[in-house]
Amino acid sequence: MAEYVIEMLNITKEFPGIKANDNITLQLRKGEIHALLGENGAGKSTLMSVLFGLYQPEQGVIKKNGEVVTIRNPNDATALHIGMVHQHFKLVECFSVLDNIILGVEDAKMGVLQKKEARKKVMELSEKYNLQIDPDALVSDISVGMQQRVEILKMLYRDNEILIFDEPTAVLTPQEIDELMEIMRGFKAEGKSILFITHKLAEIKAVADRCSILRKGKYMGTVDVADTSVEEMSRLMVGRDVQLKVEKAPCTPGDAVLSVNGLTAYSKAHKKEAVKNVSFTVHAGEIVCLAGIEGNGQSDFVNCLTGLAKQNAGTINLCGHDISHAPIRQRSQFGMSHIPEDRHKHGLVLDYTLEQNLVLQRYWNPEFQKHGMIKFDAIRKYAQGLIEQYDIRSGQGPVTISRSMSGGNQQKAIVAREIDKDHQLIVAVQPTRGLDVGAIEYIHKQLVAERDAGKAVLLVSLELDEVMNLSDRILVMYEGEIVGQFDPKTTNVEELGLYMAGAKRMEVQDA
Amino acid sequence: MKKILALLLAVMMVAGLFAGCGEKAPAETKATETQAPAAETEASAAETEAATEAATEAVPAVDATGRKVAFITDVGNIDDHGFNEYSYAGVTKFAEMSGAECKYYKPAGDTDQDRTDAIMQAVNDGYDVVVMAGFLFGPACYNAAVASPDTLFLALDVTPFDMKIEDGEVPANVALITYREEQAGFLAGYAAVVDGYKELGFLGGIDVPAVVRFGYGFVQGAEKASADLGYDDVNIKYWYSGSFTPTDEIATKMDAWYVEGTEAVFACGGGIYLSALSAAEANDGLLIGVDVDQSYISERVITSAMKSLSNSVVLALTEATNNDFKWPEAYAGKCQALGAAENCVGLPMETSRFETFTAEQYNELFTALVDGTITVDNSFDSSVHPAVEHVTVDWQ
Amino acid sequence: MKKSRNLTENDSFMSILASITSIAIGLLFGFLLLLCLNPKNAVPGMANLLTKGATDLGNVLYRSSPLIMVGLSVAFAYKVGLFNIGASGQYTMGAFIALTFAVKLQMPWWVCLLGAAIGGAFWGIFPGLFKALFNVNEVLTSIMFNWIGMNLVNFFIANMPIMLATAWGSTASDRTAPLTEANPAAIIPHGGLDKLLNYPYVNISIFIAIIIAIVMWVILQKTTFGYELKACGLSRNAAEYAGINAKKNIVLSMVISGALAGIGGGLFYLAGGGQYTILQQIESAGFDGITVALLANCHPIGSIFSAIFLSYLRLGGTAMQSQGFATEATEIVTSVIVYLAAFALLMRMTLGKLMTRKKKEEKAK
Repeated sequence: MAEYVIEMLNITKEFPGIKANDNITLQLRKGEIHALLGENGAGKSTLMSVLFGLYQPEQGVIKKNGEVVTIRNPNDATALHIGMVHQHFKLVECFSVLDNIILGVEDAKMGVLQKKEARKKVMELSEKYNLQIDPDALVSDISVGMQQRVEILKMLYRDNEILIFDEPTAVLTPQEIDELMEIMRGFKAEGKSILFITHKLAEIKAVADRCSILRKGKYMGTVDVADTSVEEMSRLMVGRDVQLKVEKAPCTPGDAVLSVNGLTAYSKAHKKEAVKNVSFTVHAGEIVCLAGIEGNGQSDFVNCLTGLAKQNAGTINLCGHDISHAPIRQRSQFGMSHIPEDRHKHGLVLDYTLEQNLVLQRYWNPEFQKHGMIKFDAIRKYAQGLIEQYDIRSGQGPVTISRSMSGGNQQKAIVAREIDKDHQLIVAVQPTRGLDVGAIEYIHKQLVAERDAGKAVLLVSLELDEVMNLSDRILVMYEGEIVGQFDPKTTNVEELGLYMAGAKRMEVQDA
Repeated sequence: MKKILALLLAVMMVAGLFAGCGEKAPAETKATETQAPAAETEASAAETEAATEAATEAVPAVDATGRKVAFITDVGNIDDHGFNEYSYAGVTKFAEMSGAECKYYKPAGDTDQDRTDAIMQAVNDGYDVVVMAGFLFGPACYNAAVASPDTLFLALDVTPFDMKIEDGEVPANVALITYREEQAGFLAGYAAVVDGYKELGFLGGIDVPAVVRFGYGFVQGAEKASADLGYDDVNIKYWYSGSFTPTDEIATKMDAWYVEGTEAVFACGGGIYLSALSAAEANDGLLIGVDVDQSYISERVITSAMKSLSNSVVLALTEATNNDFKWPEAYAGKCQALGAAENCVGLPMETSRFETFTAEQYNELFTALVDGTITVDNSFDSSVHPAVEHVTVDWQ
Repeated sequence: MKKSRNLTENDSFMSILASITSIAIGLLFGFLLLLCLNPKNAVPGMANLLTKGATDLGNVLYRSSPLIMVGLSVAFAYKVGLFNIGASGQYTMGAFIALTFAVKLQMPWWVCLLGAAIGGAFWGIFPGLFKALFNVNEVLTSIMFNWIGMNLVNFFIANMPIMLATAWGSTASDRTAPLTEANPAAIIPHGGLDKLLNYPYVNISIFIAIIIAIVMWVILQKTTFGYELKACGLSRNAAEYAGINAKKNIVLSMVISGALAGIGGGLFYLAGGGQYTILQQIESAGFDGITVALLANCHPIGSIFSAIFLSYLRLGGTAMQSQGFATEATEIVTSVIVYLAAFALLMRMTLGKLMTRKKKEEKAK
């Protein structure tokens, strides 16, 4: 019996303009949880796609139990008992849970599906590993957490021994993350081998035995998790020391930039007041953070503030202009920058090139057009400037299609665009969601720099660490109302938690 | 992207179906004369009927070996049970008799350009005679005839007026043939009244001259018979449907007619007889056919007002062949209206389902038309109705 | 999509190479089909198909111009994220307004052509509005508006006696007046092309179509207007976020697409030979537009070539009657060729892979 169940030796995979994997070696022992750590775009997903047969490497071999194998497609991978839970689930929405699990390996007699046996096996597995599912529910009706359990059951149903989890925690709530960790430990006890792709150091620390680290397509080494500090791992991943804590000077608030008065909005989805009588002010040179658990009206509020939706009552004042009913472009021209919550939905035209996206908020300026004809040279030059200044990495520079860029670089592009345009106020909604430490650090620094340059920053975030770290003032939103105002220096996460959960509230008038 | 592409392809195919369904009848195979004999056996009863009828005509022996005759189709397919099919039946009949080659061409579309292109294609393929059917061919026929003076052109149902000649005359290499549909209609109307039907109907397609002449002839025939027999209680319902294809609207209307007591309807125009037939079957009504002997369609067809397209084609082509492949005087640059005198209209007495109207009566009437004792007005202005005294016409 | 971008170094070269390869494969299949249908005449039939257009260039160009316009209509809509399957209805509306201007109002041809654009644009408004205001899929509405348009035009024409051929000394009462009789000034001028190309009907419409194609390309690629339209099509949310009025732009996109199809109808009927026929039948032109656009990968300039290709094939197909192939058979053959030619995109990807592999082998050496 070889020491390793799976070995990927000296794997190289190239895409035009980029070496996604450069001579990478990954060795997975039987019965271990092996983390694969790297920034967005470091080549983790590519490496796993190679293992799963989605890409063919230019160089390198894959061995299973010491023997060289060729994996041409996912079916080959399945035959070798390799299973994968993709970051974006691969489920048929309109099929039931059970149908999804057996899809592809369904048993049929004379063309008739034999579901009874399958159901029995699925329910046994579900019980054994404590993976609660409803086999008859439609995938489109179940929660993200349960969808992930379905994906895991898919692997188990196929008797997979090597389980790959591609960023499984990105979509889960903290509680669900804990459950997942438990399940992974259970697999390990069973003797299954797990590859766990992530960029969250805390999770690695919590569950993994060993950790292989990639940086910009290169292999940085494998460490024993128990002997290695979080700082050390992040240094290996990013290539320099990362400041996990933001350094910032004391805040010196100036004039009011944004004042919101009595803003009330009805939600279309729930037909009730999503935002209730919200009033507050953001001054120049301060970062105000709107904290809260997801779904407490933050999104509706931001939509009204930025003009994507209309409020039912209340006024918004930006730098002395009443923008309560102004169209989006006017708000932008009065000095509002907006880093949207969903960078794919709102932040970028994904099929536009990077340079086209970088001018999305200013293509109409005389700088970039004359009589309606686009000045391509000016745009190219401007884009190259931003790419350099903000270190936006992509395969083909300004002409890269935005969709093909990594999430972190997409976000960097948005931040670059919004910060570079004339503005007095930045509305940043979850600007670091789904990003790795390097990118998070970068974006935090940018926001602080903006504050120090005398701009007003309104940060909407669900991550309490970020809230505590970054803000000069914290407003807590619960069920559409502002229920508390805090100074981060004098409060703590526990106190905020109580307010966010609605257990406590204070009267906040015109914060 | 793949998904979108797949969707597009699917939509494209569906779109193709949408686009296609209006245009295409089942594919046929009679493309070349080599294939023609095989197709002949499949040909409808009507075609055979038309051919035998042609054969009864005394046609002089003719030899056109090595000559080539082309036929250009009107709007629609060659197997349309109508204009195209019966005209082409004449062409194939002639080819069989004389040893000439024949073939048909279908224009790429319904424009003058398309028709001209198709004619010129036949000319460039070396055809000696180009036969075409339908007044839409007027301008195209003229253009082609001027451009190729060595080719003969035979245009059915085309008048000099249709050719839109700005200055000059119909070229001598063109022969135009129209039909005295009013005589056919007259015969049918007369026979129907004599046979005892007093509640009649005329269902026309679009009020093009041929249809109007059929209809007015029918009315005049009924009028004459009523006068001869001293009737004053014959009623005719008269209506143009505005279409040459069967529709529910026509079927509903015919239903109403039969329910109101109409006994026999003269269904005159393309495929609309199908609508009338369904109504007739539901109400135990009767029909009168048109153009060819339509008795094969149903027991309910009592007779048919025939105009013999195939006969006239065979006749004209034979005369040209015997005149060293030039149009004889009577044809060259002329428009002939063929009628009873040329045996190009009539009723099929052998297959007609008359009770009292006899072959003798028919022959007497037919002879009267031939020698001019009876004349039928041939006007085709759909806004001016023929005058009637003895019958009541309900112009709808 | 991602893979086809592997070859940015010689993008257009690869596109053209791929198109030509696909066409070659299409022709090969077409020939095999001919062999099955009639082996004796397959070779001369194929020769007719391939050479007829070359000897009759004027005819090809004459038939191309309306096709270019409907192709542009579909391609433009597609580029801005809409699938305009209603080009037929817009084409019919354009034809109707053009003919009304020509026959009833006795306008000169260029006014009629403008009318055609307005007619088509008007018919594009509705799917656009439904999409913009209620987010109803434009495919649905535009299909419905094909039928509504066709029936409405039939109704209007049937009830305007002056429009019908019968009012202008013709026998046909089921079609509109021939322009030669009703208003020769409404016929698009030949500009000497008829003499040059020896085909009496070819007119300057081919230039009009090409100019419009170039203008469309410029609008899409070079202007902020095109930038906005595309942004709305590719991501309505992102466009709105950037302060672009997405509703307005979606309607505008359909209006432009409709106007293009309408001009197609104008070009066809103002050529003088066509007469609008009152039939319960949707003009097939709009669906040809889909073929043309997809064949051109929805590129406006490419639409010119794919339209010429399509009319070249069709003309060749008609010519195959000389070799004893019935029109139905030739239609199948030309469709097969077009269908396979539409695999250009696939071909491009395959060629791309081959090329990169070769390059790598060379490098390895």
